[in-house]
Amino acid sequence: MKIVVCIKQVPETNDVTIDPVTHNLDRRGLAGVMNPFDKNAIELALTLKDSRDDVQVALLTMGPDDYAESLREGMAMGADEGYLLSDRAFAGADTLATGYVIAQALKKIDHADLILFGRQAVDADTGQVGPIVAEFLHQPQITYAASLRLSGANEVTAERLLEDTKQTLVAQLPAVVSVRSELNTPRYPTPRNIQLSFAKSLTVWHHDDLDLDDSRLGQAGSPTIVTKVYAPEPVKRELTPLTGTPSEAASQLIKALKERQLI
Amino acid sequence: MSKPELWVIAERRLDHIEPTTQQLITKAKGLAGDQFNVVTILLEATTDHLEDELKAYGPDEIRVVRDDRFPTATDAEHADALQQLVEKYQPNSLLFGATITGRSIAPRLQAKLQTGLTADCLDLRFDDDTLVATKPSYGDNIMCEIICPDHRPQMATVRPNTFVATPAAGDATVTTDTVTFHPVDRLQVKAAVPVVNTATTVGDASRVVALGRGAASAATIANATKLAEKLGGRIGVSRPLTDQDRFTHDDQIGQSGNTIHPELIINFGISGAVQYLVGMQDSQTIVAVNSDERAPIFEVADYGYVGDAQAFMTALLAAFN
Repeated sequence: MKIVVCIKQVPETNDVTIDPVTHNLDRRGLAGVMNPFDKNAIELALTLKDSRDDVQVALLTMGPDDYAESLREGMAMGADEGYLLSDRAFAGADTLATGYVIAQALKKIDHADLILFGRQAVDADTGQVGPIVAEFLHQPQITYAASLRLSGANEVTAERLLEDTKQTLVAQLPAVVSVRSELNTPRYPTPRNIQLSFAKSLTVWHHDDLDLDDSRLGQAGSPTIVTKVYAPEPVKRELTPLTGTPSEAASQLIKALKERQLI
Repeated sequence: MSKPELWVIAERRLDHIEPTTQQLITKAKGLAGDQFNVVTILLEATTDHLEDELKAYGPDEIRVVRDDRFPTATDAEHADALQQLVEKYQPNSLLFGATITGRSIAPRLQAKLQTGLTADCLDLRFDDDTLVATKPSYGDNIMCEIICPDHRPQMATVRPNTFVATPAAGDATVTTDTVTFHPVDRLQVKAAVPVVNTATTVGDASRVVALGRGAASAATIANATKLAEKLGGRIGVSRPLTDQDRFTHDDQIGQSGNTIHPELIINFGISGAVQYLVGMQDSQTIVAVNSDERAPIFEVADYGYVGDAQAFMTALLAAFN
């Protein structure tokens, strides 16, 4: 079976600023790194590969050519091969247009039985691309998986943590799963795996390599538009004093927390 | 012609309505004015009466679809049912709570409808009939306003506790509707059990009891443990307390420890050095208890008590009991 882990490259830090003149994000000097949550998905894939002889792990990302860095890093962790979806036509895509290209690429990869995502990217924080891809591929989805094991030749069993409920789910493959970061601790690339990774295959697919409807690509294929980007004003809090004896003050606090639905 | 509809998709949490649903109804009513009808969509079992938990918030209509498979339905089954309703009523916009459930169903439905969805919004407004959604990015360091001008419906998930639910006068009409339930055999929910608190680190906790130098006695720590249990949260500490054996760097809040933004943090005996404040000042509700009224912690707090931390904690525990 083949596990495909979809990853994203993100700025090295979330400490971004707004250019005071252009009001655009100032990304100058920000190096790209693999989205940290995606490493949990790769670790899960590698754990499953360690548990069975017939598992191959592929990585897939969409972005400019330098996203190959993150594919190389994942292959140095132990993944077998990488796919980079890179074309000017894909640029400016929102989650829907991104999900479309990724889904079309996954259709071209033979036996992509299990498709994994990190819980969300640390830059845009949407977590939407996994479910979108699942829908486009007509596959079942398990989001926010807290554990996952292969429970049959063609079946996975996962635990999914909702805010106050733990679900146990069984999915027949192929399926799409996004994982929580508490699931595992990602391994580091070993010197040997780093050396081996240079011999591994990295396939670049451009626009013409995929079966695509151009109206669904990039900015034109994106229903959403960002109209304004700004740095939030620091939250100015107004202090409500709790007064009187400790008991009186505690009662005031309990009342306030109830009003805020915190207790 | 009837007004276009603004939908709030009700979420179930075990046997109750998830509170974000009620918060969204209040917000939707404020947004709707005379322009929209606020309709709450509720998918429930035939024996449920979850609409009773929604009426008091005064949506114009509660549209209920009943099927005994809904309480354990998977994301794709929910999205399929909602798609049928969207195609029938053509609403202007759909609002979901940005809970794990909402953030799983909404993008699946988005893909079915081929429309725009903005995630984890912190504010919403209408510009004519265009929904302007404010969403944080880069770990809440940047805010984006996002619109979906040419596709309908418009969709957003909204971060829980962003808005306050307010009961409202008015009789919500409860109507029932039907959809065809299309089971997805390839995914089964085998079990669902309630869990009280899944936080393994202070960074995951939604409620934090924070202790500093002014709340470091064994008795205070014991009480703080009880308080954290009552709240379903965790203890966190400022740097000086990491010298104690029972706390580690993992428990530390601040620049050199964990940056946290829980729904609630109660700070006991913490003065609020800047290195500490940057690690917690984005928490949603901040309470501070300190004997020094000039302590900087009060400058970032929503509620403050000037006095002995131990005495206040004892009183708070008693008030809980």
